[in-house]
Amino acid sequence: MIKLLHIIAISALIVSAGYAYSIKYDTLYYAEQVAKLKSRTQREREAIAVLQAEWQYLDRPDRLQAAADQHLDLQPLKIQQLARLSDLPNRPEREDEIGRKLEALGLLGPTATPKDRSNEARTPSTQTPRR
Amino acid sequence: MLHEPHLDPKAKSPPPARSILSHARELFRLRLDKSTSRVSLAALCFAGLFSVIGGRLVQLAVTSENTSEVRRAASSEISAARPDIVDRNGEILATDVKMVSVFAEPRNIIDKDEAVELLTAVLPDLDATDLRNKLNTKKGFVWVKREITPRQQAEVHRLGIPGVGFLPENKRVYPNAEAAAHVLGFANVDNVGIAGIEKYIDSMGLQDLNGAGFNISAADLKPVQLSIDLRVQHALRDELMKGMTKFKAKATAGAVLDVNTGEVIALVSLPDYDPNNPVDALDKDRINRINVGVFEMGSTFKALTVAMALDSGKYNINSTLDARSGLRYGKFTIGDYHATHRVLTVPEVFIHSSNIGTARMALGIGVEGHKAFLRKMGQLTRLDTELPESALPIIPPRWGELNTMTIAFGHGLAVAPLQALMAVGALVNGGMLIKPTFLKRDEEQARQTALQVIKPETSEAMRYVMRLNASNPAGSAGSAAIAGFFVGGKTGTAEKVINGRYSKNKNFTTFTAVVPADKPKYVFLTIMDEPQAIEGTYGFSTAGWNAGPVTGNVIERVAPLLGIPPRFEPPAQPFPLMSRLNAWGTH
Repeated sequence: MIKLLHIIAISALIVSAGYAYSIKYDTLYYAEQVAKLKSRTQREREAIAVLQAEWQYLDRPDRLQAAADQHLDLQPLKIQQLARLSDLPNRPEREDEIGRKLEALGLLGPTATPKDRSNEARTPSTQTPRR
Repeated sequence: MLHEPHLDPKAKSPPPARSILSHARELFRLRLDKSTSRVSLAALCFAGLFSVIGGRLVQLAVTSENTSEVRRAASSEISAARPDIVDRNGEILATDVKMVSVFAEPRNIIDKDEAVELLTAVLPDLDATDLRNKLNTKKGFVWVKREITPRQQAEVHRLGIPGVGFLPENKRVYPNAEAAAHVLGFANVDNVGIAGIEKYIDSMGLQDLNGAGFNISAADLKPVQLSIDLRVQHALRDELMKGMTKFKAKATAGAVLDVNTGEVIALVSLPDYDPNNPVDALDKDRINRINVGVFEMGSTFKALTVAMALDSGKYNINSTLDARSGLRYGKFTIGDYHATHRVLTVPEVFIHSSNIGTARMALGIGVEGHKAFLRKMGQLTRLDTELPESALPIIPPRWGELNTMTIAFGHGLAVAPLQALMAVGALVNGGMLIKPTFLKRDEEQARQTALQVIKPETSEAMRYVMRLNASNPAGSAGSAAIAGFFVGGKTGTAEKVINGRYSKNKNFTTFTAVVPADKPKYVFLTIMDEPQAIEGTYGFSTAGWNAGPVTGNVIERVAPLLGIPPRFEPPAQPFPLMSRLNAWGTH
């Protein structure tokens, strides 16, 4: 009986030792993987920083301005060209028959957005003096 | 006797039987007196173990001494990480990139002359004698060259000199080059901030952490967000550059300030420098004129004088001032540049930029009242912002009545332009003096530290006279009155002091604009140093002919970027109080 207990104890010991051993080596393996990934993310971060700096370098306003002056046929924005969404004209009258029929049946609610009357006049009443 | 041989069969076990088995049995014997061999075995085991550990320690101490020392020396020399600096929209203004530097361990280099020869062959800009001196020291670590290209790194690597190695370092780059040079400042090769916001970041504790040996990586650092808008900054710089060449000025500078938050949206001072290569950054000519230079602001100061007069209650918008003849004080006579020779109301004093009128106003308030008002407006003390560079205003040592009279129209007191701009912001934003900042913040944060310095009614009067100055044909600010933005403004021309006297043809011109004048959001400032009269200015070199139009160009280009909607109908009742008081010019 005691012998049997001994055998059980010893085999349990061996199994647990083997388990601990495998756990340890798994941990080592994963730790290595983590370190590798960390260094890879670090490298990626550095690469991103370089790319960001390069993007900003290529995207810097004075370079864009020089490039636009040289290659594009654009003119400086005039203040009269600026408008707000509320300044846009209303939707034109419906042309389609079905729409008109629906309207006659009273199924089509009004869609006209409120108009901003204060901004209707687009002809400037003030002028920038000559400089 | 007979059974004697059977007495103890175990004790009788013969000596040859004392084999391995019996030795093993000895080990497990529990009786103390018989367990000597067990003790000795254990002692032997421990002795062996300790000698192995001791040997390993000696081995480690002997072999790895060098590498750890190099590592320690390197970590104190290597450039630390710095946080990115971004503008108010998140565009990068300054960032770190990794660069490789070459170092040497003079102790481990066998043939120093050969090493010097090989290294200078690959890196031709190295000084051979300097390098030889460096390698002949007993140091464990010296830099050979900082921040080399990948190609140079490959070449040095191919030389295969023992004792020469590479270390990755952080290098500060400013992708926008000159665009925001004076705000950003720059960092040196060790990534320590030398000027501008870079130095401010260090003073906020970054350098202390590095000094204490904390190794900060870029990922731990939060980007610093500035109030600067890169697009506005560039547009301002571009327009000022054009203005500087057009009017052949020695220098020019400009700033855009948000009057409700105190944020500096753009700050340019020309000539400037490239922070990536700041060799001439400390040149006297390249100082930040907005923040570090102090100047007599000329007629711009008249706005302060008028505000003081109105706020005191001794004058109101309909008060009249005698400008029929020059104002005599002792042997001095104060005259007007645009002389009117009649009695003027307060708005007229402002738009005709009458020296006599403003001097009379200041005299009415008195020297002490004048001083107290300017101190309240922050004009007599150093203005501290995030930028470490600042300047003390130049105040007359003995401030008498004559000083008060000249300071009333902007001569005799030199302040930093940013300081004057802060005061103008307070005059138009409802009377709150908000200290300018270079970091992004919102209105609530600004209100916490703001001071109510003048009454809101006075502020409305100031907005009114500034707008009148731009809209009335007699005003001097018409050149900047861009249609649709309801601009108000004030010119300022100060004669420069050359050899102790005011020069007649060397001017320092300023222009301050407020946009839009009925509900101000931004103030614009342009200063020009010695602009020349050119074709088309009819021989004039005063502010209305140079700083004014340049500011107009800036407003025209920048206002859409700042999101100010243009209005082509003038606002219905921009200044209700002024029209109620029936002020000059409302009809």
